Amino acid sequence: MIADLTLDVALLAGAMRHGGIGVGLADEVDAVRAASLVPGGDREELRLVLRSALKVRRQDWERFDAILEAYLARRPASSRPRRSRGGPGRTPGPEGEPVGAGVAPGGAGRAGLGDPGYSPVALLRQESPRPCPGEDLAAMERLLARFARRLAARRSRRLVPTRGGGRPDPRRSLRRALGSGGELVSLARRVRALEEPRLLFLCDTSGSMDAHVRFVLALVLALRRVAPSTEVFAFNTSLVRLTPLLLGGGLAATLRRVAAAVPDWSGGTRIGDCLSEFAREHLRGRADRRTVLVILSDGLDRGDPALLADAMRAIRERVRRVVWLNPLLADPRYTPTARGMEAALPFVDSFLPAHDLASLERLLPQLAA
Amino acid sequence: MSPEVRAVEDALAKAGYVPDAAIATALFLATSLRKPLLIEGEAGVGKTEIAKALARLLDTELIRLQCYEGLDASTALYEWNYPRQLLHARIFEGRGEDPARTEAAIFSREYLLERPLLRAITRSREPVLLVDEVDRADDGFEAFLLEVLSDFQVTIPELGTIRAEHVPFVVLTSNRTREIGDALRRRCLYLYLEHPDLEREVRILRERVPEASGALAVEVGRFMQAARRRRLGKPPGVAETLDWAQALVRLGRAHLDAEVVAATLGCILKDPRDLRDLGGAELDEMVTQALEAPP
Repeated sequence: MIADLTLDVALLAGAMRHGGIGVGLADEVDAVRAASLVPGGDREELRLVLRSALKVRRQDWERFDAILEAYLARRPASSRPRRSRGGPGRTPGPEGEPVGAGVAPGGAGRAGLGDPGYSPVALLRQESPRPCPGEDLAAMERLLARFARRLAARRSRRLVPTRGGGRPDPRRSLRRALGSGGELVSLARRVRALEEPRLLFLCDTSGSMDAHVRFVLALVLALRRVAPSTEVFAFNTSLVRLTPLLLGGGLAATLRRVAAAVPDWSGGTRIGDCLSEFAREHLRGRADRRTVLVILSDGLDRGDPALLADAMRAIRERVRRVVWLNPLLADPRYTPTARGMEAALPFVDSFLPAHDLASLERLLPQLAA
Repeated sequence: MSPEVRAVEDALAKAGYVPDAAIATALFLATSLRKPLLIEGEAGVGKTEIAKALARLLDTELIRLQCYEGLDASTALYEWNYPRQLLHARIFEGRGEDPARTEAAIFSREYLLERPLLRAITRSREPVLLVDEVDRADDGFEAFLLEVLSDFQVTIPELGTIRAEHVPFVVLTSNRTREIGDALRRRCLYLYLEHPDLEREVRILRERVPEASGALAVEVGRFMQAARRRRLGKPPGVAETLDWAQALVRLGRAHLDAEVVAATLGCILKDPRDLRDLGGAELDEMVTQALEAPP
């Protein structure tokens, strides 16, 4: 009953997407093919098979297991076998209940799990629009254009053809030599390619930071023209990866999407918890020794400073440079004595204000590759 | 466990690899569906070892492509034998050959140096292709790899397209220093390897360091499990376990004791902070616990 297995997998994938685990159609196809290979398998085997075929990352295992358990539990037992659409019936495996294939969920279970192909993105678009800072954007872009060349100044190990000096390029040299009867008249050369800067922004979106976040997000949008791989995360009481929301649309549309996706926008802050989560889940995959990591926050943390210090140490060890933007620095009387700020400061390379274009001018040289 | 998966598990054990259910299942799926297998996990959990075991199991050649930053098609795929081409170009020129015929001659298969990816698709029997530490190559190479793994064909401008006679079994490994792109991930089946549990670690020790006494293997295993539960900067992997057991055997030990553990701790902890954090009384207590029989 391949048709039913397909439906099972599609419903499960829908539930996974609903639960925040990304699954694509190709993964679903793999899962159907894989599960049909072990029709007699027990639950544990089914779990292993699906985990492999649906490419469930380590950090999603617990959530995936819970979703799978919930799905299997919701599915009515063999009391309501579905009629196969023309295919031959399948006999239960030796272990008893055939869980690898077979019974589709009833109406109630189906409604709870969402339809196949369901995506949460559509929901985010319905949030109310929010004000945005547009006026400084033109000035910011002019500034960025000036700095773009300096931003991309580091050379990678990859070699690209050049007209000037560099290492000999045998392939192109030989091509030239053939034109002159096998005589090497001039050597073609290649040099190490220019590298794109790698930037990662962590923005505190708590109430005290609201206006500054909009400013920095506008900066990030402009920066992504020079450095398309720039990553952005938002945090307040939880951590959200914003990068997928930055694609397409103008600043206003992006800000709307971002505001809708970040829970507790303009609420309180738990910097330590959020940075720990970041260090645990994303640091390895999204930052490396070339990354410049920028944190935007006033450092007013409600959590444990030791937790924040641990997270900052992990981050500092991983990346090339840590920049902390603190709008409070604009006030000359400010001293970083808040417990969170004090705990984080030993692991910060540059501690800068972020409230106007002048402070931006000081930030940009720090971001160079 | 299904009989098919059980068979893979047994064959792996026979090939000298101590599997668990997740590994056996993933390898069964990868070989049955003929899809590449992407293996992720901490350094030292035995990712590369799986590809080697698979090659032994299938009794076929293992072709390894080690990735690094800046890896390009000429190192991964093919390269022309330039010195030879140049030499022959001049010889042909000396004989007064037609330039077009010279060119056709020196851009033929016999002047082509096969690199791992091309070699993997031109073997007469399907090999195991290990693309090791794919996260170290840059994104551009990943896209290129994706193309090769989709079609199993390689286009060489001067020669034309070479199609795989036999599609190789492909294993990719990643330490997750960089997130692998979704497109490549989707192309593969996925296995995340964790550090082995005590039972499996002891089995691995018995298999790989048979000189170690039974008691020593269990004690080393218990100590390693305890060490990984600490908050270490670089948790030790199976490779470290094996190194350490071998060191202890070489020192003629049949049991752990505080003194020898302190002296050989560098075999398993390779970070100065970890070495500092895990010292003194705490270390003694871990040794005592490793020596005690489980409750």
